[in-house]
Amino acid sequence: MSMDVPVSLTAGVDVGSSGVKVAVVRSRGGEEAEILAVVAQRIRRRDLSEVVESAWQEGLAAAGVGDPESLDYVATTGEADSVAFRTGHFYSMTTHARGCALLAPGASGVLDVGALHARAIRILPGGRVAAHRMTSQCASGTGQFLENIARYLGVPQEDVGRLSKEESRAPETVSSICAVLAETDVINMVSRGIGPPDILKGIHASIAGRLVQLVRAIGVEGSVLVTGGLSRDEGLLACLAEAAEAGPKRKRLAVAHSPLEFLSHPQAIHAGAIGAALLGSYRREQLRRSGRLDMLMTG
Amino acid sequence: MNSEIGDPAGAALERATTLTDDLRLDAVRRWKEAHPGSLAIGILPVYAPRPLLEALGCLAVGVQGGGDQLDIIRGDSYFQSYICHIPRSVVELGLDGGLDPLDGMIFPSTCDVIRNLGGMWRLLFPDRYTAYLDLPQNFDPALGGRFYAGELRRIAGEIHGRGALPLDRDALREAIRRENTRRAALAEMDDMRRREPSRVPASEAYRVARAGSVLSAEEHTALIREYLAGARERRVRAYDNVRVVVLGAFCEQPPVGLIRTLEKAGCDLVDDDFQLGFKTVSGPIPLSREEAGDAGGGALDADDPVDALAIAFLKWGAPTATRYIGADEKGRDLVERVRKVKADGVVFAAASFCDPALLDQPMLEKALDEAGIPHTGFKYSENSAQHQTIREQAGAFSDAVKLWGGAP
Repeated sequence: MSMDVPVSLTAGVDVGSSGVKVAVVRSRGGEEAEILAVVAQRIRRRDLSEVVESAWQEGLAAAGVGDPESLDYVATTGEADSVAFRTGHFYSMTTHARGCALLAPGASGVLDVGALHARAIRILPGGRVAAHRMTSQCASGTGQFLENIARYLGVPQEDVGRLSKEESRAPETVSSICAVLAETDVINMVSRGIGPPDILKGIHASIAGRLVQLVRAIGVEGSVLVTGGLSRDEGLLACLAEAAEAGPKRKRLAVAHSPLEFLSHPQAIHAGAIGAALLGSYRREQLRRSGRLDMLMTG
Repeated sequence: MNSEIGDPAGAALERATTLTDDLRLDAVRRWKEAHPGSLAIGILPVYAPRPLLEALGCLAVGVQGGGDQLDIIRGDSYFQSYICHIPRSVVELGLDGGLDPLDGMIFPSTCDVIRNLGGMWRLLFPDRYTAYLDLPQNFDPALGGRFYAGELRRIAGEIHGRGALPLDRDALREAIRRENTRRAALAEMDDMRRREPSRVPASEAYRVARAGSVLSAEEHTALIREYLAGARERRVRAYDNVRVVVLGAFCEQPPVGLIRTLEKAGCDLVDDDFQLGFKTVSGPIPLSREEAGDAGGGALDADDPVDALAIAFLKWGAPTATRYIGADEKGRDLVERVRKVKADGVVFAAASFCDPALLDQPMLEKALDEAGIPHTGFKYSENSAQHQTIREQAGAFSDAVKLWGGAP
């Protein structure tokens, strides 16, 4: 992007099923980006509109934006209905891919693991989506399921990754297909006296095996950035690395497969919001160049 | 925008939603109580001329299946698995008593499935009036026109035989005037949503239009105008969305949740063929020889309002999937339509197993490809509850069109 592209100040608001993330970015049409602020707030049982407003104000304050009207584009991703002040909306797959291109420039794929779904995306240089695949509707293999299990076990959410990664000695196998069956597995394990670290590691391993298959199914090779709510779960990240190393379980599928490396990034949980902000800047520049900026005016 | 407190259009929208969800036809029951002795006649999609029924003192009731609110228990046993969903839910509603307020049913020649449903209905309810309306596919006034006018007179005579008023020219002219007024109001609503999609979202316009299924033309017009007056008062923002035309959902209606899914994916639906029955004839129905010009071709006389209905269908019938005309004409019309409403692309949304929609689709896609207009497509069923896959597809399409200028 050349210097004749003006600097724009844009924001991305990612409304997920369990949290709201806000990113404020300065860039030139989405390039030469500087992330000014990223914030995240859990929804828990609060009113969604209140969470959005609270996260929004926190994000603006963290970025030093006094007047929201000074923003050139506010892009939403996820559930946009609760963000009436948006300029436009982008689909979460597109925004995670674009966010990944900034956070992990060499990555060829994204693994977005959210509360209810996980999605593998193969990306082109620059962050355009080349292929994607989602988990089926069953919630096993996603953050909400893991959060429920942690609650059953009485383990604080923030300890899940560490317990799984550092304290497990003999992980138990868990059904990777169905959340109901998996929960039954866990109940049986508890009654057999299996400790939380081994249960959690078993769940992580089960989720990771399934996610690696998802990534391989769309032909991703090389490095993959893990985004979404579970991108900070060190236990899951460790199991993803192990699953990628192990290769296919079934012998008849044991053909040569390309190595996969799963990357983490401190801001990966904000990838959707960051990507939305970058795409907002790109879109604004697109409209400016075509003389259609007036369509962004308030009606 | 929705029917939240403080929304100036909220009351009208709330009423439209109640009427749209009215599977037990409570509004029709109330109308019959207010008009003792008058008949309510059901009309299956896509089109039958409503003014004819109103002129007979009847309430024309659009029968559009059970949508996503009805469990099909018996309806499935009447039809094979490889046809669409609407006949199952219509039979279910019939057997369940939901359509009891209707004194008769008209089954237009939309497709083989609707024709078969008409036959099934006659067998299931032999005491109720059932008519098959053969809409002409020959558009010569001397052939298709005379045939069609004859069909309308036959049906009017049969309904009169069941206790309705006799067909009267002045009454029919008045009914046509009321219908023209209703359709002008619908056109105004379409204009407003094209200019400001966030002021009149398609999901709301759909409900307001569909509410007319159980209202007289006059009551429907009043509802539309009340809604529009409220919508004008709204404070809204314009969103940077993709403008799309949705095509193929003219008979079995998509659940409102699916329309909302498209909107949530960043699409402004600026044109569609939902509720096609209200716009099968483009523009007003002529009420005189002067208004009709030479459209009657010397075989039909627009001073006769039955002939006028026939002329309108023949000459100003929209080039829809149920009209057997050349594919080139339909493709040309679609491209013109996309350009007229300044749409960025087309979404083909056809009911699963809908032959008319799915047979037209490849030819329409070819026309769009040649014109460089991006498009995507999916199938649905009226009782579809999960729209995640469609959301995925629509979201990818919307982003690709908006950001990269083409389909993904």
